[in-house]
This record gives sequence, C-alpha cells and structure tokens, in this order.
Amino acid sequence: MQARTFAILIAVAIMISVIELIRREKMTFKYSCLWLVASAVVLFFAFSPHVLRQVSEVAGFVLPSNFVFFLLLTFFVFLSLFLTIYINEQNNRTDSLAQSIAMLEYKIHKKS
Amino acid sequence: MVSERVLIIVPAFNEGRVISRLVKELRTLYPKYDVLVINDGSVDATPREAQEAGATVVTLPYNLGIGGAVGTGLRIADEENYDVALQIDGDGQHDPAFLKDVLNPVLNGRLDLSIGSRFLSRESAFKSTFLRRIGIRFFSGLLGLMTGVRLSDPTSGFRAVSKTLIPYFARYYPVDFPEPEAIQMANRFGAKIGEVPVKMRKRLGGISSIRYFSVLYYMAKVTFAILIDVLKKKK
Repeated sequence: MQARTFAILIAVAIMISVIELIRREKMTFKYSCLWLVASAVVLFFAFSPHVLRQVSEVAGFVLPSNFVFFLLLTFFVFLSLFLTIYINEQNNRTDSLAQSIAMLEYKIHKKS
Repeated sequence: MVSERVLIIVPAFNEGRVISRLVKELRTLYPKYDVLVINDGSVDATPREAQEAGATVVTLPYNLGIGGAVGTGLRIADEENYDVALQIDGDGQHDPAFLKDVLNPVLNGRLDLSIGSRFLSRESAFKSTFLRRIGIRFFSGLLGLMTGVRLSDPTSGFRAVSKTLIPYFARYYPVDFPEPEAIQMANRFGAKIGEVPVKMRKRLGGISSIRYFSVLYYMAKVTFAILIDVLKKKK
C-alpha cells in the first residue's frame, strides 16, 4: 500500500514540476513529452493494480514488482538514448551557427 | 495620409520553384511595403530566387520550422519598428490579392490580430483533407472556449499583427505548430482578434508542415500548449 502512495506522490510531483516548467517557458512540449507520458503510465498502474498484475503476467514476470523495475530500466535507457540524440543535434547546430557567424564576418570584411 | 510601414514576412522552406512568382506578385501589388523572405534553411535555390525577385532575404543556418521562421520575422519587425507585420506562406497557397483584406482591419485599428480564413467566404471551395478539417473544427472549439472568440480557421498562417502585439510575439513565439497557440497568446495579451474571408489557392509547391504521421502529435501538442498558455501570466 505504502509503495503505491509513494509512486503516486512522485508521479504527481513530476507532472506538476514539468507543467510548471513549460508554463514558465523553460521547457518545451517536445522535451517534456516523455516525462508526462511516463508519469501518466505510473499513475494509471498505481490506480489499477490488477491491470499491472495482468500485464506483468502476460509479459512473463513472476512478480509485478520485477515488471515495474524492468519498465523503469527501459524508460531510462530510452531517455538517455533520446538525450544523446538531442545533444548530438545541439552539437551540429552550434557548429553550423559558428560557421554562419564566420561567413557573416567574411561578408562584412569584404564590404569594408 | 500617413503611410504605415508594413513588413510582409514570407517564411519559405525549399520553395525555390514558386517563391520568385510570389515575391514578384507582392512587389507589383504592394510596392510600398517591404517584403522579407525568411529562408528557413532551404537546400534549394530559395534564397537566390527570392533575392533576384526583389525581396530582402535572411537565412537561418538550419531549419527551425514555421514557428522559428515567423518568430525571426516578428523580431525584425519589432527591432525595425514596423507598424504592421503581415505573414503570408511562401508556397503560394495564400493569394496575395487578398493581402489587403487581411491587412486593412489592422491598419484601421479594428483588430490587433487579423486572420485570413478560407472558410468564411461561401464561394471558396477549398479542398482540405478530412483529418485537417476535424483538427480545425476541434481547435476552433477549444479556442472559442478559452478566448470567447469564434474562429473558423485557427490554423491559417495568413495573418496580420498590429504594433501593440508585435513586441509580445518578438519576445516569445511558439515553436512547431504555432498558429492556434499564437491566437491564445494574443488573447492573453488583450488583443482584438478577428477573421476576414480569403480564398486560398492550391499549393503550388512545397509540402504542408503537417504530415499524416504527425497529426496526433500535432493535436496533442497544440491542445496542451493552449491549455498551458491559459495558465501563463497575463502580461
């Protein structure tokens, strides 16, 4: 019982903080999507434990708690994969920005 | 009559085949207004074609999407102290002949955000996809609920923005799918919002920024963004 309450509290806390960050324009929907969906899934399972039991049984887990750990691990693996992709994208963009600035400087020098 | 300074913002991503015709039409019809093409990281001849047709061109070093492109134009409009910023798509879908209809309500102070709607005029038989029509209906309902303004075409990107509203948009303009969210933002800043009938042509080139696979994401994102915006500070 207590574990369930704990999970619900954390999920709600994450959801509220993410929404507050978006409201303050410090996070965009694109990057918050994963967090919102994950906390929604946690809330769904917390409020319907029988579904969690059934799903974990179908997935071949003896204990629902093992299934929960497995889900968490998968979530973090995907999260870090996405973060790596985002970092790479940012890296390419800063390089491209630096080149654009250099090209502007070249054009200005040529004019003066 | 004091002539108002109007900046025509044309976001363009790989519109090399049609941009020249659009810019020439704009320059012929509205010689007094400035035409600014935002080249959103195109990989084709868009910037050269636009420049040769007589537009001022700024190039983004990589594709930012429609929101980032229009946001750039609005920042320039703010910086250069324009009286009106008018946005018209670079793919030729918006008929420049209707530009003055979209512009006039802002010029005479009746509206702060004037949107060209393809559904207001009865004669326009604009063919839209089924999904798109559902989306438009949905956002029109949601925005009506949030802003009290009933709009028939909230996803239209044919719009004029008044001087009072430009600084707010210059500070923050939504990314990804900005049109419906910008309406809710404008309402938050106390803008007068309204629609005028326009006819839209068949797309001459380019592709819609909304592809089928992303429709669900689009709906979720925009709905969420509008609801969050309601929670933001008034000014």
